[in-house]
Amino acid sequence: MQPFEDKIERLLSVPPYAQPPEERHACLLEVLKEELDYACQRHTGYKNYIQQWPRDYRSATRVADLPFLPVRMLKANPPLSFVHQDEVKRTLTSSATTSQTPSRVVLDSPTARRMTKGIVSIVRDFIGPARRPYLVVDTPGFQGSGELGARGAAIQGLQPFASETTHCLTAGAQGELILDRDRLKQFAQDRQDTEVLVYGFTYILWNHLVQPLAAAGICLNLPKARILHSGGWKRLQDQAVEKAVFNEQLARLFGCSPDHIVDFYGMVESVGVIYPDCSAGNKHGPVFGDVIVRNPLTLEPVAAGEHGIVQVCSVLPTSFPGHLLLTEDMAQVLTYDGCPCGRRGISFRFAGRVPKAELRGCGNIENRRSATS
Amino acid sequence: MTELTHTVHSPAEISDATAKLRQSVSALELSPDEVMAIFDSWAKSLDARELDDLPGIPFLRMWLRRGTLEPIIARELGSNALHGGWTEYGRAKCKAFPLGVVGHWPAGNVEIQPILSMTCGLLGGNAALVRIPSALVDMTRLLMEKLVESDPGERLTRRIFMAAFDHRRKDLQEAMARVVDGAMIWGGEEAVLQIRALPFPHWTKIAVFGPRMSVAAMDAGAWSNPEEQKAWCLRMARDVWQFDQQACSSPQVLFLEKRQGQSTDQFLACLQRAFETENRAHPRSTIPAALTSEICQARASWLLNDPTHRAVFPPGPDWTLLVGEGSDIPQPTQGKTLTVLEVDDLLEAVSKFDGNMQTLGLGMANAEKELELALLAGKKGVDRIVKLGRMHVFVPPWDGVDLIRPMVRIVRHVSSAD
Repeated sequence: MQPFEDKIERLLSVPPYAQPPEERHACLLEVLKEELDYACQRHTGYKNYIQQWPRDYRSATRVADLPFLPVRMLKANPPLSFVHQDEVKRTLTSSATTSQTPSRVVLDSPTARRMTKGIVSIVRDFIGPARRPYLVVDTPGFQGSGELGARGAAIQGLQPFASETTHCLTAGAQGELILDRDRLKQFAQDRQDTEVLVYGFTYILWNHLVQPLAAAGICLNLPKARILHSGGWKRLQDQAVEKAVFNEQLARLFGCSPDHIVDFYGMVESVGVIYPDCSAGNKHGPVFGDVIVRNPLTLEPVAAGEHGIVQVCSVLPTSFPGHLLLTEDMAQVLTYDGCPCGRRGISFRFAGRVPKAELRGCGNIENRRSATS
Repeated sequence: MTELTHTVHSPAEISDATAKLRQSVSALELSPDEVMAIFDSWAKSLDARELDDLPGIPFLRMWLRRGTLEPIIARELGSNALHGGWTEYGRAKCKAFPLGVVGHWPAGNVEIQPILSMTCGLLGGNAALVRIPSALVDMTRLLMEKLVESDPGERLTRRIFMAAFDHRRKDLQEAMARVVDGAMIWGGEEAVLQIRALPFPHWTKIAVFGPRMSVAAMDAGAWSNPEEQKAWCLRMARDVWQFDQQACSSPQVLFLEKRQGQSTDQFLACLQRAFETENRAHPRSTIPAALTSEICQARASWLLNDPTHRAVFPPGPDWTLLVGEGSDIPQPTQGKTLTVLEVDDLLEAVSKFDGNMQTLGLGMANAEKELELALLAGKKGVDRIVKLGRMHVFVPPWDGVDLIRPMVRIVRHVSSAD
């Protein structure tokens, strides 16, 4: 057992947003340094990268000074791994919306276990600890072992809050999603006075649930429903769906209050950490992780109010280099502490993807010319 | 003051402006000597404090000097071309005449390129219709104001129209193409292909300066000489810094010839200091987030994918040295990311060049080897072989072609009395 494993367990056992930032950073720094030591023992290429980082991580006094890895490195195939193949319990793959190559992250048993605990810790803070009927607005096809995509990972991540699970979509012959109205109706009729949990990808909820049912004027009468969704808004851009309209129509369909709807951001590369919107519309990092928003000009953390490139930090993964990841998302930091919702630490909002990088100008070579000889 | 830069909204504005340009060319013949007199005065006016921070100004001043341009005119257009005279070739005489209106489509990555391209056409006696990339409008306007001050009689400026419009306005791009007699097109593959596909008249002469890349190379005698090491490293750093390494003449790779028993560590430390010095002198004021991502990605993939690789870089994205061995050229990252590769023999590296390579910057102690390298590089498609530190010096031939001659007609006269 590695010395950091106890410390991670302790961080997973405390309320995720209650620690003052200084205390949190000191804990994170200590564990992340130990994890970097461990990672260097497990992967020679990663060790080479860490050793040539301009600041020695062992003497770092800020999490921001630790060596981070661009998230695109996790698109490697075979995946970057700190464990032997026979220790890999599951491989998660990203949805690869911005390129053809998905990220692949390998989970061993300890990392998989922590992933579940991390999500439970965060979600519990938003919807409470109770198990309840779980309506999955997706097909049942995402269960099982082996490779698991982003949708499957999110669905499974919420399973600890389920007393029973119902999937209300089925896959057609061409793989298209079909709403099973009878099953949905039955689920709603049987649980009208019960707290229920609903989850679906944002665009799936809109295209395959809200649109067909709202057009028919249907209300499911589930006033105690708590609805979580994730996956981003990119696929709804063409339809220009505003978040307020989405929330209003979804709430009307379920007959619940719009503040029962929580949009969260998650990436398979940052296992066990998701970023739900708080009541003030902001996102927060949990005690076992953090977010650093870096100025593209200096790569230093930005001041409150400024935009930059998002780095996610998490102590949870130890089977692959996912603890310090520079993402390809932009965000604005609102405050470094003192969000009106009461959660401690950084509050931020995502601000889209880093625009696609392209080599510029006449130094941009794409196709080969033929030489004279 | 005459305003030369115009925000264009409709194709009619372009055709109206071109009609005036055409009239100005036919109304007055301007010899290269007269154009150079105005350029000379313009070069002096660019020595102004308010222009100090603009990129490329020293280059532009040097380019506009009579001392630079006179030999180019003589070589490209003939020894008597300076004053618009005929040059004798045996029993024939030749003289350069302008094409008429030359359209210029510069790339957005080299700040002074709209002006460099324009001057080439003007020296041939043409009028200039220049599309200014959106990011360069303010800077170009500042520089053109100095030209207006240097040309009180408007002999030259009345034959210039700088058009500012969004590059996605296909109607305006087409309007420009339809009215020009010559076209100078610069930029990356996508831009060049799009512009070449515009509806030019069949007589339009088109010169394309398309996407290329460049590398540098040093033999062991040069990089290992402690007395010259610092100077070579500063030259290398200057070539990398100029145009944020985005120009076709920007070095992306430095090949170092190995020497048995001698490590390159000391040279690399010296190169690091040179990069640090250049960065202090010319720090970035802004950077696209995407470029920062690419730089971080390049550092990580270089070091992670091969444990024998080394790298030196500061905590920020300011500059990067990626160090390894081999003669294969990696995909360029730009943004002051130089890959330093040790090779057994520079000829081996040059032999792998394809036609993409524009400039080979050299630091050589062995003159014979340099000649051998130059010959091989020429065969492998390289168009410029220059000393390190001079990779961006804008002197024709550029991309293997002249800069002024493609935009003139050389008229041949054989006397009927002979």
